[in-house]
Amino acid sequence: MICKKCNNDESTVLLRKKDYYCEKCFINNTNHKFRACIGKNKLFSSQENVLVCLSGEEGSTVLLNLISNGLCLENHKKLRINPIFLHLYNNNDIAEKVIEDCKKHDFVVYVVNISDYMSTTIDLPEPNSLPKLNVGTNNTVNIFNNLPATAFNDMFIKIKRTLFIKYAKVLHCNFIFTAETTGSLASSLLSSIALGRGSQVEDDIGFIDNRDDIKIVRPMKDISKEELHFYIKIKKLNIQHHYDMKKNSLQVLINNFVSDLQENFPSTISTVCKTAEKLGVASDNADNESNHKCKICESVLNIPDGRLTALQATDFSRIVSLQKPSKINTHDKNVIKIVQENQHSMFPYISAAKCVKKKGEGVMKIGAVTEDASQNGMPYYDDPKRLGKGEKRQQS
Amino acid sequence: MPVPCRTGCGNNAVLKRPKTGDALCKECFYWAFETEIHYTITKGELFNKGDSVAIAASGGKDSTVLAYILKTLNTRYDYGLNLMLLSIDEGITGYRDDSLETVKQNRDDYEMPLKILSYKDLYGWTMDEIVAQIGRKNNCTFCGVFRRQALDRGAALLDVKCIATGHNADDIAETVLMNVLRGDIARLKRCTAISTGSEGTIPRVKPLKYTYEKEIVMYAHYKKLVYFSTECVFAPNAYRGHARALLKDMERIRPTCIMDIIYSGETMSVKEQVSLPSQRICSRCNFVSSQEVCKACVLLEGLNKGLPKLGIGKTSKAKKMLEAYNARQMQENSLEQATDLEDTSKSIKDNIKDASNKCNSKNCCSGKCKSDASKQQNGNAKINKLLEQYGLDESPSSQKLNGDLSDDECSGGCGNSSSMPIGF
Ligand SMILES: [Zn+2]
Ligand SMILES: [Zn+2]
Ligand SMILES: [Zn+2]
Ligand SMILES: [Zn+2]
Repeated sequence: MICKKCNNDESTVLLRKKDYYCEKCFINNTNHKFRACIGKNKLFSSQENVLVCLSGEEGSTVLLNLISNGLCLENHKKLRINPIFLHLYNNNDIAEKVIEDCKKHDFVVYVVNISDYMSTTIDLPEPNSLPKLNVGTNNTVNIFNNLPATAFNDMFIKIKRTLFIKYAKVLHCNFIFTAETTGSLASSLLSSIALGRGSQVEDDIGFIDNRDDIKIVRPMKDISKEELHFYIKIKKLNIQHHYDMKKNSLQVLINNFVSDLQENFPSTISTVCKTAEKLGVASDNADNESNHKCKICESVLNIPDGRLTALQATDFSRIVSLQKPSKINTHDKNVIKIVQENQHSMFPYISAAKCVKKKGEGVMKIGAVTEDASQNGMPYYDDPKRLGKGEKRQQS
Repeated sequence: MPVPCRTGCGNNAVLKRPKTGDALCKECFYWAFETEIHYTITKGELFNKGDSVAIAASGGKDSTVLAYILKTLNTRYDYGLNLMLLSIDEGITGYRDDSLETVKQNRDDYEMPLKILSYKDLYGWTMDEIVAQIGRKNNCTFCGVFRRQALDRGAALLDVKCIATGHNADDIAETVLMNVLRGDIARLKRCTAISTGSEGTIPRVKPLKYTYEKEIVMYAHYKKLVYFSTECVFAPNAYRGHARALLKDMERIRPTCIMDIIYSGETMSVKEQVSLPSQRICSRCNFVSSQEVCKACVLLEGLNKGLPKLGIGKTSKAKKMLEAYNARQMQENSLEQATDLEDTSKSIKDNIKDASNKCNSKNCCSGKCKSDASKQQNGNAKINKLLEQYGLDESPSSQKLNGDLSDDECSGGCGNSSSMPIGF
């Protein structure tokens, strides 16, 4: 087959079932996509510190390679950033592989424990070494293990984001690179929507997450999974497969759905990603509302002019399912009042078990909310007996 | 072992609410179901006291429950609404003519006036004839466009303030997903609105916006409401098909996702740079349109000129087709046209025969597959499945199944039979 770019007749890379490229042109093209993404947004000054977050998965392995290649280039083509690498420890094999990869390129990687999320102090670990396990804080993270699979996966993403920003500060980086590709962003978009996080897609899926002073950038957002796989094959990169997501969750279901689309309707994936970039938050003044964001997940909590939303309707369903018909005069036209009178049994926000409205030590509040809810025997996001409240779980 | 009703009313629960998971007795379920819709109506400010309201009635479960509920709440809470039924007869043999019988039953049961408008009267074409012209693809485009306008015309005739449609929470969540998949930003923005209507159109309101489809089916079942449940017929577009399959799978894992998806739609907005089409008046029929000539008129012209694909694709394409058509017209003589007509009428017959042969296939059913026995069975199968999942009565055999409950759902259906596709 003949390369679309250079007419070389030894083209082995077939993209979108129709376009042939030779290996050289393909690699150039992928590099170009990566560089164009960073370049056209003119974010960085020269030798900017960038925290590059490596999960050890396919995307992050390619990102490491792209950066390393970029730094090796001569003069004006050289990638002018100063990368510092971070890996969140979740699995020993993966962590060791990430350290090894970084050492190969003479990079320094900090491996940080996930449970560090619960810690208020900061100890920067020794570079290029596995973190010491802190038994105390590790247990605290187990709270999240009791969440239903979907909520756990959602929380895990928020934990990672918080840690990225925390360590970017420690390491004096104003920018963070993460390795999401077109397919994974399409999955995230659909997951966000399915979890009621539609108002956050702009930051969660777009090129830049602008919510913090430290910007999270997704330089691989135009690279597809197909391209990722060819890149890995051609560059003979070593991949260690693992999967963070808990099964039987919406996220895994959606990932499978997106993989299917990718196979059969590849153009839909890019449509979905383009959609994400056109969406924002429906809030009166989204800009200066930092007081009204959830401290944990950054969900905007104040919806304009108190109009009826699915959230209120859900709250009402919960109340009304607990009230005897006789208790409320059904002829009372102000049946709405019962909502106000039953505030304590309501879950005001989309992930009520997790969302914290007040400012303060947001992180620790999670535990508090969890305990409160279970002590009161209140209908709770995570109560396994209450099918439909959160999600179905196996009843024992 | 009987489960006590969650509200503590002392009765035993008969079902587990699909929406909240609470085990409730029949009375408490009715109360919760009805009160929620009352809450939606009042908090969403859907009606004003004294309004005349047309209920878009198809005879399907959603619109039947909607009519029943609106009548009940109107009396209970003294809304002071003047309710009437408005039905559109698309002219789909075996599907719509049967469901219209159900609508007439609703009219008598709920003592509401009924207005029926037909495509044939409005446009000169029945859906059967349109299908014969264009084949089995894109039927939903025609049906949706024509029905939307037909409802507007009907509402104008009835002189109502608004049209209440039976869109339920599942429909809306599905539409959100669909619009994301096909990148339709404009519709994504509009499709979660509880009431829609731009200047010049009669507003549509969705009192069942937060009501789960499963609960509608169960409510109709326990209340023994009469409805017709052959779903429309024509295969949905690929995006809706994907969205529907995905939503069903998601609901199994996490039932709240339906409400969460709606919430997502409600809380996101389109960034300012994205321009949405502005509304104006169609130069031919004077109905609201985003184009010089409205979609209904373009489709109609296509049909009348034997160019049924006109208006399905892009506008530029339509123009080219018209030009080509006009050029051809100049050359052709009337004799040839006459033979064309004969061919068409023959193909209508062929099509009908064809459809009736295929009615067991998944994406057929065309409404002509009316076999009463199997319909009854399927209907029972569906409610039985729901009861198995959510019913708490120990012996399912003691459940008296509603004889009127027929559910011959076509899995390739173009949406709930009650209403037009959402979010035009
Ligand atoms: Zn080449
Ligand atoms: Zn939150
Ligand atoms: Zn009860
Ligand atoms: Zn028109």
